[in-house]
Amino acid sequence: MGIDVEILLSALVSGLLLGLVLALVALGLTIIFGVMDIVNFAHGEFLMVGMYAGLLTAQGLGIDPLLTLPVAGVVGFLLGVVCYFGFIKFLLRGPMVAQLLGTFGLMLFLRYLALLIFGSEDRALHHGLLVGKSFDIGMGVIVSATKLAAAGLSVAAFVAVWLLMNRTRIGMALTATALNRSAARYMGISTERMNALAWGIGGASVTIAGALIVNFWSVNPFIGLLFTMIAFAIVALGGFGSVPGAFFASLVVGLIMEIPGFWDFFMFTFNADWMGKVPMTSFKYMWVYVAYFVIMVVRPRGLFGWKH
Amino acid sequence: MEALKSALDFSDFPRIDLLAAGSLAILFLIFPLFPHSSFAMATLIQFLMFSLYGMGWNTIGGYGGQVDLGKAQYVGIGAYTTAVMLIRWDIPFWFSMPVGVCFSVLWSFVLGYPLFRLKGHYFAIATIATSLVLKDLFEVWDFVGAARGLEISPIRFPPPDFLRLIFREDVYYYYVILGFFFVGIFYMNWFRKSRLGFQLRAIKDNEVMARSLGINVHWAKIKTYAIATAFVSMVGSFHTCYIRNIEPEDTMSLDISILIALMAMLGGAGSLWGPIIGAGILIPLKSYLKEWLGARAGIVGIDLILYAMIIMAISALEPRGIWGIVQRFRRRRR
Repeated sequence: MGIDVEILLSALVSGLLLGLVLALVALGLTIIFGVMDIVNFAHGEFLMVGMYAGLLTAQGLGIDPLLTLPVAGVVGFLLGVVCYFGFIKFLLRGPMVAQLLGTFGLMLFLRYLALLIFGSEDRALHHGLLVGKSFDIGMGVIVSATKLAAAGLSVAAFVAVWLLMNRTRIGMALTATALNRSAARYMGISTERMNALAWGIGGASVTIAGALIVNFWSVNPFIGLLFTMIAFAIVALGGFGSVPGAFFASLVVGLIMEIPGFWDFFMFTFNADWMGKVPMTSFKYMWVYVAYFVIMVVRPRGLFGWKH
Repeated sequence: MEALKSALDFSDFPRIDLLAAGSLAILFLIFPLFPHSSFAMATLIQFLMFSLYGMGWNTIGGYGGQVDLGKAQYVGIGAYTTAVMLIRWDIPFWFSMPVGVCFSVLWSFVLGYPLFRLKGHYFAIATIATSLVLKDLFEVWDFVGAARGLEISPIRFPPPDFLRLIFREDVYYYYVILGFFFVGIFYMNWFRKSRLGFQLRAIKDNEVMARSLGINVHWAKIKTYAIATAFVSMVGSFHTCYIRNIEPEDTMSLDISILIALMAMLGGAGSLWGPIIGAGILIPLKSYLKEWLGARAGIVGIDLILYAMIIMAISALEPRGIWGIVQRFRRRRR
C-alpha cells in the first residue's frame, strides 16, 4: 500500500462525503425550479443564512452545532415563504430576464444585509462535540468527524424530503404542480400555496445544509455565489427539476471538486514532475464551471431531466 | 453610403424625443466648460462607458431576447489585451484596441457556437459559467499578472499621450469616450433598421416562425453575439487606459456582467434609448449612494442594499423598464 493509493482513497472519500452534503444544497434549487421554472440566484445566500443561523445558535446557546439543525430549518422555511410572498410572487408575471435579475437582486440584498449585520470577517466554529476529531477508517484514510456526521445527516434530510415529496398528500400535490401546473389547478390544488411550499421546503433544505457545512467550513457574507454556481452545476447535471438526478449529480460534482487530490495521485503514480508545477488547487472550482458548460452543451436535459 | 444615411436618420422618433436627445447631446459636449467636481466627471465617464456596454448587450439581449450574463469576460479580454500589449511591447491603445476586439470576437465565435444551442435559463447560466472559467484562468495566469493584475505606471508612460491614451486630466478621457458614445448611438440606430435587426426581433417573438421564414437562427444569434462582444471589448480597452490598474476581480466578475444587463433592462431592453436611460439612472445612483452612505457615513454595504432593492423593485413592478412606462403612458394619451 503506497502513499499514492492513500491519496487516491482519501480524495475519493472526501469527494463523496462533500457530494453527499452538496446533494442537500442542490435539492432546494431543483425543487424550486421543478415547481415553478424559476432559477434562484439567491440560493447560495440562503445557504449563507443557514450557516450563520447554525453558527450563531450554537455560539449563543452554547449547544452543539449539530443540534442547531431544526433552528436553521425553521429559519430557512420562513425565509423561503417570506421571499415568495414578499417578492417572487410579483416576478412570475414578468419575462425570464426580469426573473433572473430579480433573484440576483435578492442575492445582493441578502449578501449585503449579512455584511451590514455580521461584518466581513470569516467566522468558524471552534468548539463542539465533533469539531477537530477525526476517524481513521482504515487503509490510511482519515476522515474528519464533522464531515462524516454532516454527510450522514444530509442523507437523512434528503431522504426525509424525498419521502415528503413522494409519500405524503401535500408532497404529491407539489409533484403534481411541478408536472402540470394547470391540470393540478383543475384538481383543486392551490398553485399559490404549492409555490410557497416549494420555496419553504427549498429554503429549509438549503439552510439545513448550511448548518451542516458550517461545521467544517468558515462563513463570510460572500460565500454564497460559489455555492450557487455549484448548485447550478449539480442541478444541470442531474436535470433541472429531478430529485434523484440531483443526488447522483452531487456525488459527481463532489468528486470533480476533488480533482486536485486525483491530480496528486497521478503525479505520484507516474512520477511526473511537471504535474506538480500546475497550480491545481486554484483551479478547484473552475472544473465545476467547465463541467457545467460541457454538460449543458452535450446533454441539455441532464442525466435524469424531464423538463426542457 | 446607404448605411450611413440610415444611421443618421432618426426620423421615425417623435419630435419631442429628438429634441430631448439633441439638447442632452449638446449638454454633454459643453459639460466640461462648467465648473464641476472631479467626482461628477468620473461618474459621467462611468455613465458613458456603461451605456456603451449596455448598447452592446442590447443587441443580443434586447433585440434578440437572449439573456447573456457573461459579458464581463469580453471586458476582461479587451482590457487585458490593451494592458499586456502596452506594458510588454509598448503598442499604443489605438492599435491594441482593434486587436483586442479581434480576440474577443474570435473567442465569442468559439463560445457562441455551442452556447446558442441552449435556450432560456440554460443559456443564461452557461454564459455565467464561461465567464467565471475565464476569470479563474486569468487569476492564476502569470503572463497577465495573475490575481495582482496589471498596472500602467505613469513614470514609464508619461502623460499626456494621445496615442497610448494616457492623460492626467479626466477631460480628455471624457471626450474620447463621448466620441465612442456618439458613434455607438449611430451604429445602434443603423443596427435596429438593418436586416439583422429585423431578423433578431423575429427570433425574439417566435423562433420557430423565424426559422420557417428562412432565417438562419443560429448564425444570426452568433453574429449578433459577436457585435455585442465588439462593443464591450472596445470599452474594456478604454477601461484599461482610464483606470490604469486592472485585475480579474474588477473587470471580469459576475457583478459586472449583471450590471451590464441591468443597464439595458432598467432603461428598456430592445429600444435605442433604453441602455442610455438605464445607465443614466443607475450609475449616478450607484456612485452617489456609495459616496454619501458608504464612504461618508461609514456604513458598509447599505448603498448596495438600496441598490439591490432597486433591482428587485424594477424586476417585480416594471420588467419592461422605464422606456416601457413611457410608451404605455404615450399609448394611453393617444
